[in-house]
Amino acid sequence: MYYRQDRIVDGQPRITLRDVSRRFRIHQDQQRSFQDLFINLFGLRKRPVQNGFWPLRDVSFDVMPGESLGIIGPNGSGKSTLLKLITGVLEPTQGDIRVNGRISALLELGAGFHPDLTGRENIFLNGSMYGLSRRDIQEKMESIIAFSELGEFIDMPIKHYSSGMYVRLGFAVAIHTEPDLLVVDEVLAVGDAAFQNKCMNEIQKFRQRGGTLLLVSHDLGTIQSICDRAIWYEGGQIQMIGHPTEVVMGYLNHVAEKTEAARPEEDQRRTPDKLDQGQRWGTGRVEIINVQLCDGNGAQRSVFATGDPMEIRLRYRAEPPIEDPVFGIAIHHHSGALVTGPNTNFGNVTIPLADGEGEVIYRVPSLSLLAGGYTLSVAVVNRPDTEMYDYHDRAYPFQVHSGQYRERHGLVTLNGQWRVTDTTPEAVSERKSALVG
Amino acid sequence: MSMWQRLRELNNYRELIYHLVVRELRARYKGSVLGFLWSLLNPLLMMAVFTVVFTLIMPNNSLPNYPIFLLCGLLPWNFFSAGVMTSIHSVVSNANLVKKVYFPREVLPIASSLAQLVNFLLALVVLFALLIVFQADVSPRLWMLPLIILIQTAFIIGLALILSAINVFYRDTMMIMDVVILAWFFMTPVFYPLDILPQSYEVMGFTLNVHRLMNILNPMASIINAYRDILYLGTYTEIDFLLRTALSSIGVMFIGYWFFTRLSGDFGEEL
Repeated sequence: MYYRQDRIVDGQPRITLRDVSRRFRIHQDQQRSFQDLFINLFGLRKRPVQNGFWPLRDVSFDVMPGESLGIIGPNGSGKSTLLKLITGVLEPTQGDIRVNGRISALLELGAGFHPDLTGRENIFLNGSMYGLSRRDIQEKMESIIAFSELGEFIDMPIKHYSSGMYVRLGFAVAIHTEPDLLVVDEVLAVGDAAFQNKCMNEIQKFRQRGGTLLLVSHDLGTIQSICDRAIWYEGGQIQMIGHPTEVVMGYLNHVAEKTEAARPEEDQRRTPDKLDQGQRWGTGRVEIINVQLCDGNGAQRSVFATGDPMEIRLRYRAEPPIEDPVFGIAIHHHSGALVTGPNTNFGNVTIPLADGEGEVIYRVPSLSLLAGGYTLSVAVVNRPDTEMYDYHDRAYPFQVHSGQYRERHGLVTLNGQWRVTDTTPEAVSERKSALVG
Repeated sequence: MSMWQRLRELNNYRELIYHLVVRELRARYKGSVLGFLWSLLNPLLMMAVFTVVFTLIMPNNSLPNYPIFLLCGLLPWNFFSAGVMTSIHSVVSNANLVKKVYFPREVLPIASSLAQLVNFLLALVVLFALLIVFQADVSPRLWMLPLIILIQTAFIIGLALILSAINVFYRDTMMIMDVVILAWFFMTPVFYPLDILPQSYEVMGFTLNVHRLMNILNPMASIINAYRDILYLGTYTEIDFLLRTALSSIGVMFIGYWFFTRLSGDFGEEL
């Protein structure tokens, strides 16, 4: 059952879910009949229904006042269904949901606008949909119009609005309903950067006022920076709940494992002998016969987190033996930028004689690449760099996710440290005198 | 939620109903030159059509002031048929809302019905103007008129709730109701007086009292009779007759409400 109470009771969680399940019918499955309708109506159907799928199975959690909870998970995991249940758009098939306080949901900005009405009329319509009275809306009208930056356009039918104007107005109304509880589903992905910033500011202010926030986002960075707690939701169940960073890590590791698991055929394709013509060249006197990207434990992976250890293993074969070859790698970012290109020469490592098969390992104790897609190239040349034995150009893609790192601009982290010193005049003169002394 | 809680919540959303009614009325006349004047013009034109047709078919019809007689039936009938037919798809056509925003879903058919009520009240102005022109006798029980309007509104809302809910699951409802409303129109004494029907009718040995049956089985017949008593005949409707009609209308409304709330939890999925 869904219970909703607009009046706040102190000390109670804002949202309580107890063993909530929701079933969806699979539509082509059966022809509905009028008979079914009436059976449903009188609640006569007691037998459990096998068909249909469950985007939610026995989900329980609480959200306390003032808390902000982030929900992450892959597409189609049922996150939106969860939000719809909490906002009351859908009713649970089993279990109880209690919502305590006024709720405002940004599931879709501007849902419920009528194209023929003007912006102002739509504010009244939309506001009353959120349960505001006429007087409330009138009081906030100026502020809403100011926030939406619509100016004189406010008295124009909104069918003539641009999509940006539409979204701004939608957000303006929703945030001005002064909810106790704000439910946000990915809507901030729309609109330009300036608008997104404005929305984030507004959400921060809402939080400072003591509002409770429920946020669904694919932007794991946002979840980590805004939320006190996070839920990793997948397969109709809560996989993990706790501190955002831990949950995000857990989720990302899972994604990495899944990506690995789904890889076998691709792995074969990535072996050197399966490379395209243009991707591999060289005289072949030394061949790189296998390339592996491994984590700290030597397990092969293609997804890493910033800060993780990483090992690149090159297996070679030299028949007949070759003297003094130089092995190197290059890492390119998605965008085409070369990030780094170390080789054994730079590393002051010499291989006097490559005879038969052997292995060269490049070990990175802490990966400084930031989140993104990268490709690895490998090469082996003679020391004077006049003969290319074997070159695999950008043949081995891998992914990096942000992990515990919060940095998100650019390609690498320099692992620098920030320090702030006191700049008051007294402190400065104190430092000067200390220098002199 | 209990029925009582639901009703209290519905009350909290009365502003929304108001704005939806405004929206519906505005959207209807957007882009038309005469705008809301159509609410007045439409019944007049229909009256003209029916008067011409009816005098052609029944040249010896003995009804005095036939235009008034007709309007007394036609206006409430239009209110009824437009109310039901626009409400039926009220939930379906607001699917984007129903799927995205929480509010008691019953406001949708209720608002559609009430928008038609506003139209009806405008059209009544025309009727009153004609009453003055034809110098008809106005019943001393004119105060009952609002009561009858309320009864009819309750009946329409009840049907609207039931049909709009079914229409979510079976879009056939719309098609079926097109025909049903047409048949219903002919079976209701809108443009003919009840008296032209035989008093009794024999079926398999049973004698049926047609007039009584009509009033019992067809609330619209009772409602239109009540309008006519007051506005056309200048007499008054017996209180107990009115009470029975009121009772069945309110009954329909509550059944409709129960039915609707029972199904509305699945709307979000179905749409």
